[in-house]
Amino acid sequence: MTAPPDLLVIGGGITGQAAALAAADRGAKVEIVDFGRNAGSAANAGSLHVQMQSRFLRLNPHLADNLESSLPLYLSAVTAWEALDVRLGGVELTREGGLMLAETPAQMAFLEQKAERETAKGLDVEILGQNALRRIAPYLGAEIIGGELCRNEGKLNPLLANNRMSDALTAAGVVIHRDRIDEIVDGPVPEAHGARAYRAKRLLVAAAWGAGSMLRTVGLTIPTEPEPLHMNITEAGAYEIHHLVQHAERSITLKQFRSGQVVIGGGWPATRGAGDSVPGVRLRSLAGNVALAGRIAPGITGLRVLRTWAGYNTPVDGKATIGPVHPTSGVFLALPGDAGYTLGPIVGQTAAALALGWEPPLDPEPYAPTRWAAAA
Amino acid sequence: MSETFLFEGAPVPIRDGQSLAAALTEAGERVFRTTESGAGRGVFCGMGVCQDCLVTVDGRPNQRACMTLARPGMTVARQEPRPALKAPPETPKSAERLSPSVLVIGGGAGGLTAAIEARKGGADVLLLDERKVPGGQYYKQAALPDMEPLDAQQEDGRALVRAAQEAGVVILSGVAVWGAFEGPEIMAASENRVYAITPRALIVATGAYERPAMIRGWDLPGVMTVGAAQTLWRSYHTLPGKRVALFGNGPLTAQVALELSRGGAEIVYLGERAPSPLRRMGAALRMMRHDWPLAQKGLGMIAALMRRGIAVRHDARPVAIEALPDGLQIAIQRGGRRETVVADAVCMNFGFQPQNEILRLLGVRMRYDPNFDQLRPDRSDHMGTSASGVYAIGDCCGLGGAPAACDEGIIAGRAAAGLSGSGDGPVRQQLAAHRRFQDALWSVYAAPPPRLEDVEADVLVCRCEAVTKAALDASLDAGSTDIGAVKRATRVGMGRCQGRYCAPALAGYMARRTGADPQDLSFFAPRVPIKPVDIGTLVAAETLIPDESGDDSAA
Ligand SMILES: Cc1cc2nc3c(=O)[nH]c(=O)nc-3n(C[C@H](O)[C@H](O)[C@H](O)COP(=O)(O)OP(=O)(O)OC[C@H]3O[C@@H](n4cnc5c(N)ncnc54)[C@H](O)[C@@H]3O)c2cc1C
Ligand SMILES: Cc1cc2nc3c(=O)[nH]c(=O)nc-3n(C[C@H](O)[C@H](O)[C@H](O)COP(=O)(O)OP(=O)(O)OC[C@H]3O[C@@H](n4cnc5c(N)ncnc54)[C@H](O)[C@@H]3O)c2cc1C
Ligand code: FES
Repeated sequence: MTAPPDLLVIGGGITGQAAALAAADRGAKVEIVDFGRNAGSAANAGSLHVQMQSRFLRLNPHLADNLESSLPLYLSAVTAWEALDVRLGGVELTREGGLMLAETPAQMAFLEQKAERETAKGLDVEILGQNALRRIAPYLGAEIIGGELCRNEGKLNPLLANNRMSDALTAAGVVIHRDRIDEIVDGPVPEAHGARAYRAKRLLVAAAWGAGSMLRTVGLTIPTEPEPLHMNITEAGAYEIHHLVQHAERSITLKQFRSGQVVIGGGWPATRGAGDSVPGVRLRSLAGNVALAGRIAPGITGLRVLRTWAGYNTPVDGKATIGPVHPTSGVFLALPGDAGYTLGPIVGQTAAALALGWEPPLDPEPYAPTRWAAAA
Repeated sequence: MSETFLFEGAPVPIRDGQSLAAALTEAGERVFRTTESGAGRGVFCGMGVCQDCLVTVDGRPNQRACMTLARPGMTVARQEPRPALKAPPETPKSAERLSPSVLVIGGGAGGLTAAIEARKGGADVLLLDERKVPGGQYYKQAALPDMEPLDAQQEDGRALVRAAQEAGVVILSGVAVWGAFEGPEIMAASENRVYAITPRALIVATGAYERPAMIRGWDLPGVMTVGAAQTLWRSYHTLPGKRVALFGNGPLTAQVALELSRGGAEIVYLGERAPSPLRRMGAALRMMRHDWPLAQKGLGMIAALMRRGIAVRHDARPVAIEALPDGLQIAIQRGGRRETVVADAVCMNFGFQPQNEILRLLGVRMRYDPNFDQLRPDRSDHMGTSASGVYAIGDCCGLGGAPAACDEGIIAGRAAAGLSGSGDGPVRQQLAAHRRFQDALWSVYAAPPPRLEDVEADVLVCRCEAVTKAALDASLDAGSTDIGAVKRATRVGMGRCQGRYCAPALAGYMARRTGADPQDLSFFAPRVPIKPVDIGTLVAAETLIPDESGDDSAA
């Protein structure tokens, strides 16, 4: 029997892939086992989030502190993506900033407060009045009275990134198995069991919505319920919307890919698919989300919506989980929590470094899985 | 004749209720839009599916010229690949919620017949059709009601439409269904109105679209489907060009050649993929036995072509088309020989693909038919599908021809009105006979369908996103195993036609490569909107949706 690989990554979304690539780039022997279904990474919109998402704050007020304490992680996440952009040979990453818009004085006041908290955490943000906003974003509708600009934010083309990532993994010699893992067994040479058994010196769980049930077998209770979310994409127009656009109170992310297509999302709900099938699209989300986008950026209303889709987000508790199951465990976790495409690379890379005994790119302490062991 | 609109600043005359596509074609304009690479595109499908005829009308980009009525005074411009983000003039749409007992989608042979029958059974019946005038593909009606019917086929169609109206069927023309949700709840829109419809029973009769041959040059302006040329002529009395070459498989191509010739076109080539019926006498005789009048009609057509000096060239298929200064030059493989011919318009039809998007969205159980590279719904004796209250009839279930679509319409119409059962016997017998005729017909015309295996490496498979055969092969060689992965890797099927041409070809190709049995999952996942939908429609649609939570995103 051949020697077990240094690292077996369970879950081949952006988190698992970034972990595998980082490890392989430093000479480790890496394998990925991925179920190949319903990856959030294959459905996501490519927003690089940094400022606190109003949607998350609104839906999860009790988790606001979690989110705020993670802000430094978001800053390193964007840096990690910039390095990955270079490593992968270009993923159309731009950092022209993100806007969060206000239509009422109350919303402006909310943004002002938020900006203050974010500045304290090192974010590069600025409150803009109507005229200043219009100058940098002439595409905005008349109802918008001001907003917050976060210069750290940006976007990338996730299709391109995912394709380049698979190419890079293949080139780096990472072996990918198509299988669903039902159980993992901790130990000196931990194991993962699916249709067949896998052994590796270290296991790294980056299985998003699939992680919870797997981790119960090693004594952790982590809520990884998937959140089905809705997306829309239009036909191409001239490339005029350079920012990532959000709203202070309503659920929306709006941006334009370099191809000219406008991508509209922001967390409108979809319906849970039966079994392993893909989640379904709700009429209410389609109409509501797109109508709102048209109001925010009236220039897009000459474009038609080409397609909608839905995918699984895995918000967990709004905070990343990174590190070993317990101090001497051979099983490591990499769960980004909210805005997982933004956070995936940094979370994956940090977890991989911990698993292989290398210096992690950031202090993992605040994200340690021990909070779940305590809850169990 | 005096009425005009402006195209790229020059006046273009309009007559007889022409579509923009017809008026522009008559004026000799071929290039309606340009692609990212600067290539020109024009009318291809003629029925609102391919999205290659897009123009900007009065400041509103992305309008399909083939589905838009030419109106005096319009300002029309070629569609640029990426129009500026400028809000088009506001034309708010009104919104309406309807709940007829029976909703029929599609006003062709099948849909009209079903609607009449359901109405006779006492149901209140609403029928929608995307076209400006009902009648569907077989009966293709003239754009204006006072135009003299061209022949008995058009005359019969006119009578059928009238019968539906007289029976009290509510017909909404120019209304396209763009979404179908559980319920079923059907979302539709016209130019100025949006509908949410929750019928007790739904009859889907959306017909078929045509399968092209993916050969070099199939995306050139002037190359179109046979049906597109037929619509130009039958609905708008417009010829697709002076010199016309037609290629196909099946009787439609010859029929359209005859119609265009009668209309004054010079038929420079009529190529049929199948060998001569004289080499298939057994099947030909069977066809005559099953339906002598229909067979006779076919023979009459061949005789009429011969009288006009048009020979059907059997065993002939186009292999490449090139744009030359004096027209489109087509390289043809005929038996073992190569031939070339030059024409102004090239028409192709290599079979049909069912428009089954609504059925797939509603989760109807489908089965793959390997002979046609297509999905067909499982149906009960009453044309019911696996989705409760949803019936499917006619060509959207796989090509069956107009007579069979009518028979199925009668059965489904009665069932939807709650009358199914005892009285269906004679129709059922008739349907069986019509199906036997179709089977015999297609054994006379049996020929290998166009397959991706035969497409050259640098030829486009996906017209919209300009994806070549080589790009697909590269993705498959790199290990993509499901069609969604190939789509994400190459952008195949991500364009405006939503994969209508590439998806069936690719699904079959992948199935044959892997030896796996294709199923519903082998095709792109069905998603709303089934055709691109403008944002104004969605804004109006929002007003029809009950506000359930107050919070737009509470999951
Ligand atoms: C519609 C939508 C839009 C989004 N937009 C954005 C955005 O713009 N910006 C942003 O930052 N985030 C966005 N997100 C969130 C983001 O996509 C996810 O959080 C992120 O992709 C998570 O990456 P991941 O690698 O951790 O998990 P995933 O990409 O979900 O991958 C998990 C993988 O694990 C596999 N798996 C699961 N269980 C098992 C098992 N038992 N055995 C083997 N394999 C298993 C799955 O098949 C899957 O391939 C969006 C999410 C959705 C749904
Ligand atoms: C292009 C073409 C040309 C043909 N020409 C001939 C011919 O000349 N002779 C012959 O014998 N047979 C011909 N056939 C075959 C014959 O027309 C069909 O067998 C017959 O018309 C089937 O009737 P149907 O009711 O199933 O569909 P159709 O007659 O195709 O009618 C379907 C109707 O549904 C409407 N529709 C589709 N989708 C939507 C939507 N989303 N919203 C609203 N409305 C919608 C369409 O506008 C159309 O009017 C042709 C088929 C095609 C595709
Ligand atoms: S020709 Fe108009 S959509 Fe195809």
